[in-house]
Amino acid sequence: MENTLRQKAKDLLASGEVKVVIGWGWNRTKTRTTPVFITDPAEVDQLVWNPLCVNNLSVYLTRKFKDIQALGKPAIVAKGCDIKNIVVLITEAQLKREDVHIIGVACEGVVYKQELWQGQLKPEIMPTKCHNCDVRNPHVADFVVGGKSTFTPPDEPAGMVFSKIKELDSKSSSERWAFWINEFSRCIKCYACRQVCSLCYCERCITEKNMPQWIETSAHPRGNLSWNLIRAMHLVGRCTFCGECERACPVNIPLNLVNQKMIMVVKDSFDFKSGYDEKVHPPMIVFSPDDKESFIK
Amino acid sequence: MADKILKKEDLAKLIASVTGKGGRFVAPTTAARQIVFKKVSKAEEIAPDYILARNSFKEFLFPQTEVIAEFTVCKDTVDMRGVEVEAPETVVFGARPCEAASLAGMRALFTWDFVDEFFTKRDDNTVVITVGCTKGDEACFCTSVNLSPESTEGADVYMRETEDGGYAVQALTDKGKKFVAAHAAVFSEGSAKARALFMPEKVPGVDLKKISERLKDKSHYDNPVWKKLAMKCIGCGACTFVCPTCRCFDITDEGTAFEGERRKNWDSCQYDSFTLHASGHNPREHQPQRWRNRFMCKFNFYPEKFNSKGCVGCGRCIRVCPVRLDITDVMQEFSK
Repeated sequence: MENTLRQKAKDLLASGEVKVVIGWGWNRTKTRTTPVFITDPAEVDQLVWNPLCVNNLSVYLTRKFKDIQALGKPAIVAKGCDIKNIVVLITEAQLKREDVHIIGVACEGVVYKQELWQGQLKPEIMPTKCHNCDVRNPHVADFVVGGKSTFTPPDEPAGMVFSKIKELDSKSSSERWAFWINEFSRCIKCYACRQVCSLCYCERCITEKNMPQWIETSAHPRGNLSWNLIRAMHLVGRCTFCGECERACPVNIPLNLVNQKMIMVVKDSFDFKSGYDEKVHPPMIVFSPDDKESFIK
Repeated sequence: MADKILKKEDLAKLIASVTGKGGRFVAPTTAARQIVFKKVSKAEEIAPDYILARNSFKEFLFPQTEVIAEFTVCKDTVDMRGVEVEAPETVVFGARPCEAASLAGMRALFTWDFVDEFFTKRDDNTVVITVGCTKGDEACFCTSVNLSPESTEGADVYMRETEDGGYAVQALTDKGKKFVAAHAAVFSEGSAKARALFMPEKVPGVDLKKISERLKDKSHYDNPVWKKLAMKCIGCGACTFVCPTCRCFDITDEGTAFEGERRKNWDSCQYDSFTLHASGHNPREHQPQRWRNRFMCKFNFYPEKFNSKGCVGCGRCIRVCPVRLDITDVMQEFSK
């Protein structure tokens, strides 16, 4: 697979069709993968593909990365789940489909966090998203690397995130409140969740708007709650459950629970799931005369 | 040379002795599936086996957020009131030799052109007990910045784990000696065989002198190598917040239009708003420039200005980085 990937990258760069290939490469000690930006066809051997390729590289397609945009048209190596975010970026007019070459990789799952890797991909080290993945064969791509995956996701979504949501849903609102206040109390306001998210592409986040200061920047209970709630609300109907925010969180806040719960609410209320079709707009930004809510009529 | 022994079963007594006198005992615990420095009241809360805590203990000297003044806006004036610094007697137990070495730089900064009592009063009331590392991981690189699990910089008391699960104790500073004397009943005489230390491998090719020389010559500012090394940086502040030597902060007012409090909050040089001027100009507009600043701060500003270490090789920044930007790669590059 890696040879096909490298050859494709080489062809794209040599022909001038793209100016940079955004992919994964090894770190110095070849123990972890790290994002690489290949601009020279002679350097394509740096590209790798394996279950340690956890990063959702679509973040590098956003306007937050001016230096990368300045390189010219990109090709991006992407798993199906990463492609969902690219689809949302296209839907939200952050990117034109023709402005990115998507090299999809057929995927049999990745690790939840790279430090869990011990040489073999086992179900217990895979994130919930992989256990329920319906895009192991990339759904939007210009080129696909790897053989077709025969995996079919279970009818009923399964995995840690879903069982925890069920558990939380069965609790009283005050118990849920206590759970989240405790989880958010660890927040250190490093904003890794926002920075690693390809759908948090605002050049000026609301937390940086300080005249007046809408969201308190202090990492006290009030500030942490307002930050985490505002970020959750801004992702409703958009988040694809790629899990990058939870992976990046240095204090292990279970953000996947928040995001998956919102996905379930949006699915129930609007029968919408983001990241599948760039032509369908998310419910939060469209007005539909047959909307079941009547307050707006 | 060890002066005393702290038997395994006597650690609980030490905690009781400290907390009994109204002090707080801070140690690595397991919280939310990772090792974190926290206030503890029982020995069982202390993580039995750890490399080092995810956070550094700096938050007990320099909290992430704290009130430094309160204000009320009156008709013609603003009533600004200072607040008492909360500086409880604190014992930090189980810090690693690397992170303790960060204290010199912290002290230099917070007493530089202004004595920041919010830091100094807490520092005065804190005893730092380091325990030499018996394990490590591939992110550890203390030996590449002239430190090791045997270093005692910044520690008041240095301990070594012993084969029987206790500690060999060495009081180093006056503060440390006073601490051991004050809790003398807890410590025993004698000796015990210390467990072998974990020595991280040196990062190949790293030469601190060379790095220092190269950074002094500011022509590297526009070197495309910064882009090459740091283009993947996503600009979160995770590395700076877990770093034991990063100490930048922001001052912010919170409350209503008429009354509220002034807070000192951790800030990060990795944020694009960190250097944003009121005019709209930003001297560090691109992320690689911000990363250059972080590296300069660690290997040029601190060593040059305060003759202290800016980087202690604890590896926290490497472990938390979502894109695996490795500071030792940059050290290697600038050792060429």
